[in-house]
Amino acid sequence: MDARFTELLTPFLKFLGEQEITPDASLRELGLDSMQAIELLFAIEDTFGVTLPDDDMNDATFATAGSLWTVISAAMDAQGVDGTRVTAA
Amino acid sequence: MSAPAHAATQPAGPTAPLTAASLTQRTDQVAAVAAEHLARTDRDASFPVEALAEMRRTGLLGLLVPTAHGGLGGTTEDVVTASIALGRTDMSVAMIFAMHCQQVAALVRYGNQQLRDELLPEIAAGRVYLASVTTEAGKGGHLLSSESALTARDGELLIDRFAPIVTGGEHADGFLVTMQSPPPASPHQVSLVYAHRDQLTIERSGDWQPLGMRASHSVALRLTGTVPAHHVVGEHGDFRTIVTTVFAPMAHLGWSACWLGTAAGALSRVIKLLRGPQSRGRVNLDSELLLTRLSRARQRIETVHALLAHTQQVVATADDLSVPRVQLLLNSLKITAAEECHQAVDGLIDAVGMRHGYLKDSPTRLEHSLRDLRSAALNYSNDRLHLVDGKLALLDAEVRLA
Repeated sequence: MDARFTELLTPFLKFLGEQEITPDASLRELGLDSMQAIELLFAIEDTFGVTLPDDDMNDATFATAGSLWTVISAAMDAQGVDGTRVTAA
Repeated sequence: MSAPAHAATQPAGPTAPLTAASLTQRTDQVAAVAAEHLARTDRDASFPVEALAEMRRTGLLGLLVPTAHGGLGGTTEDVVTASIALGRTDMSVAMIFAMHCQQVAALVRYGNQQLRDELLPEIAAGRVYLASVTTEAGKGGHLLSSESALTARDGELLIDRFAPIVTGGEHADGFLVTMQSPPPASPHQVSLVYAHRDQLTIERSGDWQPLGMRASHSVALRLTGTVPAHHVVGEHGDFRTIVTTVFAPMAHLGWSACWLGTAAGALSRVIKLLRGPQSRGRVNLDSELLLTRLSRARQRIETVHALLAHTQQVVATADDLSVPRVQLLLNSLKITAAEECHQAVDGLIDAVGMRHGYLKDSPTRLEHSLRDLRSAALNYSNDRLHLVDGKLALLDAEVRLA
């Protein structure tokens, strides 16, 4: 997982404490609330320049840090984005 | 499920096979008992013990228990059908039934083998009526968090839980309780645990004096006790999966069915009054205002019925119920049913006026139905669901409809 990814996740995980974010970390248990999903998507778009497909907006995607990263990586491949910061038009 | 060539003439007992006719016979029997007692249970805000006894006797409490465990092996569709039927007579009785079925559905799907083998035959035999303990002070109806921690010790689970509203809590034989998973780490790690009444010390606090739903007798309870480790339903901390796949769909389908039944029952009683011999020559059935009001009530009922049938179909066939378009549909059903069923009865009160719309002793019972249906928008608040739906709508830019 990209360091920028764990950095963008951290503010959403209010029960993370001093733990490190591992791929199998449960995002829900660490405090991710479904009401924050849109803010999380904005953070992902701003950081990686990708839009996650509507089909991936399900519980499985947001289950763990690893599952979310897998979806982001796939979206970057599919959209031909190399993950470097994009500037807004 | 298919209809038999002829209806059984014997009263349906727990062992009669499930058919469309035998399900109707069972709900008719429960509704008849409910009708006999509803004036008193509403007046005294007392639990409908006689109707519950009839649900036990007819096997209706075991509607969702698989036949292998002695139950009727019914489906969600059967629960919806039965809830509409009971709602026509008494919304409190219907809600007690629908919420029990929601608990049974969770046990059937997520209970481990030992718990299922112990508990499901008891439910099927009518010996276990289940209540749900998900409310908690200070969190509203939010299902997915709990501040009360479950303690694991020597292979047992220690429960200490206060709940401000437990429907039928004083009469339940068992409880499904949400608590924070052991060891306590995050209020978002919630487990569902079964506790039998004799495993708990139950203290009741406060009184139950509501506007409507008076017979549902939803009291505040503190539950303390110890249960074996296998009483956890599903994985520890994974209550969310149960909510997404069973609790939320069953709640929204079941509640909407109860409300639809209540509105349909109210319209039926109004039509029967208008067509009855006592109304001959006294009611102008050509009144355009009356006709329009009847049409509006019927239209609202048709809308909810269609939405309920469609949602039921989507829930039965969707691969993943967690996607926004399915969640939005389920929430829309709940919000729409709550609003439209209440407004249908409210409009009928205008249609028939003071005598038959507003007085308790009218055979239309509109006054009772309106009070009961006022709870629908509050029973998991429509306001809260609209906030969730707004966020979900933002996640579905293509507006793809389920």
